[in-house]
Amino acid sequence: MKNNEDFHELSYKEVVEKYPDVSPFVILKADIQRRTVTYTPEAVEAAARGGYQLQSRGIFTSIGRDGDFFPVSLMLRDGSSVFTSPVRTPREPYAADVVDGKKVIMDGGEIVDEVDFWYMPDYMGKTTSSGRPMWQVASARPQRMDIDPYSYCHFWDDGKGCRYCNMSSHFKKDALPARIDAQDVYETVREALKQDGRFCYIKLTAGSILSGEELFDDEVNMYIEILQAIGKNFRTRKFPSQMISSAFSLSQLERVYEQTGLMSYTSDIEVLNEEKFAWICPGKQLKVGYREWKKRIFDAVGIFGKGFVNSGIVGGVELAGPGGFGSEDEALRATLEEAEDFAVHGVSVVHCVWVPYPGSVFYGQRTPSLEYFVRLSKGLHDLRVRYDLDTDMDDYRRCGNHPDTDLARVFT
Amino acid sequence: MTAKFAENVMRMLEDERTVKVLTTVDSSGTPHSVVKNSLRSDEEGNIVCLELIESSRTNSNMTGSLWFGRKVSILLVGRDGSSLQIKGRPYKCVVAGPVFEAHYRETRKQLGNVDLGAVWIIAPDEIIDESFETRWREESDAHPLRKHLDRIRAE
Ligand code: SF4
Repeated sequence: MKNNEDFHELSYKEVVEKYPDVSPFVILKADIQRRTVTYTPEAVEAAARGGYQLQSRGIFTSIGRDGDFFPVSLMLRDGSSVFTSPVRTPREPYAADVVDGKKVIMDGGEIVDEVDFWYMPDYMGKTTSSGRPMWQVASARPQRMDIDPYSYCHFWDDGKGCRYCNMSSHFKKDALPARIDAQDVYETVREALKQDGRFCYIKLTAGSILSGEELFDDEVNMYIEILQAIGKNFRTRKFPSQMISSAFSLSQLERVYEQTGLMSYTSDIEVLNEEKFAWICPGKQLKVGYREWKKRIFDAVGIFGKGFVNSGIVGGVELAGPGGFGSEDEALRATLEEAEDFAVHGVSVVHCVWVPYPGSVFYGQRTPSLEYFVRLSKGLHDLRVRYDLDTDMDDYRRCGNHPDTDLARVFT
Repeated sequence: MTAKFAENVMRMLEDERTVKVLTTVDSSGTPHSVVKNSLRSDEEGNIVCLELIESSRTNSNMTGSLWFGRKVSILLVGRDGSSLQIKGRPYKCVVAGPVFEAHYRETRKQLGNVDLGAVWIIAPDEIIDESFETRWREESDAHPLRKHLDRIRAE
């Protein structure tokens, strides 16, 4: 890609026409994520009146911190979520608006479809016994609770964080302690579970913690402590949950699995090519290395089982300049070839849509075409079908951030 | 969105003894029918369908119908033998929010320890009276040539 624009990029409508067997909702989702969204004052007003979330704390983005309240994100008519926020990119964003009393998504002044926002769960207005607002302890997707127990990544200690990642700059602005207290987590989950039908999944993620006797030991211990606190709220030993963490060793993973109720495990390989990984994720490469990171993910299948381990990639970042692939075709070929190796080992690869966030090294770069994301989604989905890989752990409902896993909703 | 249902349709939808069958198709056109006694109308003149099994063939076909504009069919058979067919399009899949939660609570109250996969909103396109008497009358009026001659043989 290299930021050149001398090719015609197909519009949303053109891509829908060209790929009639791909859900137009999946295409729309990828395009909204790629181009992002703005909210009109009418949309913000409708969200404020309708019981939707206008405030959220996350480890990559927070909303409402500086009094800039707007809907946390969108839902499409097919029930899928679109995880996006008003980030400036080189492209024209979509606009969420209200027309004839209906919440809609607009592109260039034209209504594309009706949308909804994310509702506010009941626990959000409450505080824990330590006085911490619960919305700071857990954020909420339409059906998922997100608990991010540590909001700093130590790959940034010597500037070797991943080049698309804004966690470090976000943390510096956040002004909240990096570590979330286990008792606060216990109380927040307890409160959240009082709302029948609101949540079906709990996801944990955090920045990497490199310290401990073995690399990542302190991160492992933190997850165990938090998962045990969450687990006290359930009558079953295991509960629907996902941990997105560093690539832990086999013995570390065994510890997490044995000592907690965790059911699924994700460690993100981020970019499916050893050379690009080394350039884009220098800290991960230095401390663990591409091959070992990959091996550790494969090993996890032996503990959690097939269908309960996957790995995320930042879709499109393999085309970042100046070290990325030179063309979309080349990037797609290499990515899907490597994703197949994951599939052969029982690991599903899921992608998010790369958005060069402010505060990341890649900020300001132009991301790939919409068509690229459609081909990537389709390619990853086809691999899952071929290798019989279930994607419940990161599907449209339990996550909602992956256009490729939305495709699994319709049997082929 | 659509006009409210006529009184006879509402009566059938609300009657617990009405048998309600939902037929969907997959991408190859293969039909799939299930009894869905949870079908009901909402205030806007749509049909509401509760899907308890998230990974069901119906849920998959409904999603495919919403994505690609395929129609679904609902057959209502009343206790008196009358029947109506409603053809429509899945318009919305609700998996979160107050509407979903209300159905979730109600479903669990009625059925015990079950879950709710989705609340489907189906926009009706046409309602056809499929009762035999009605269809027989229509056929006789519209196609006077279509009959066996022995039926009109002189005694
Ligand atoms: S591992 Fe990379 S992507 Fe993850 S938080 Fe650290 S720097 Fe960011």
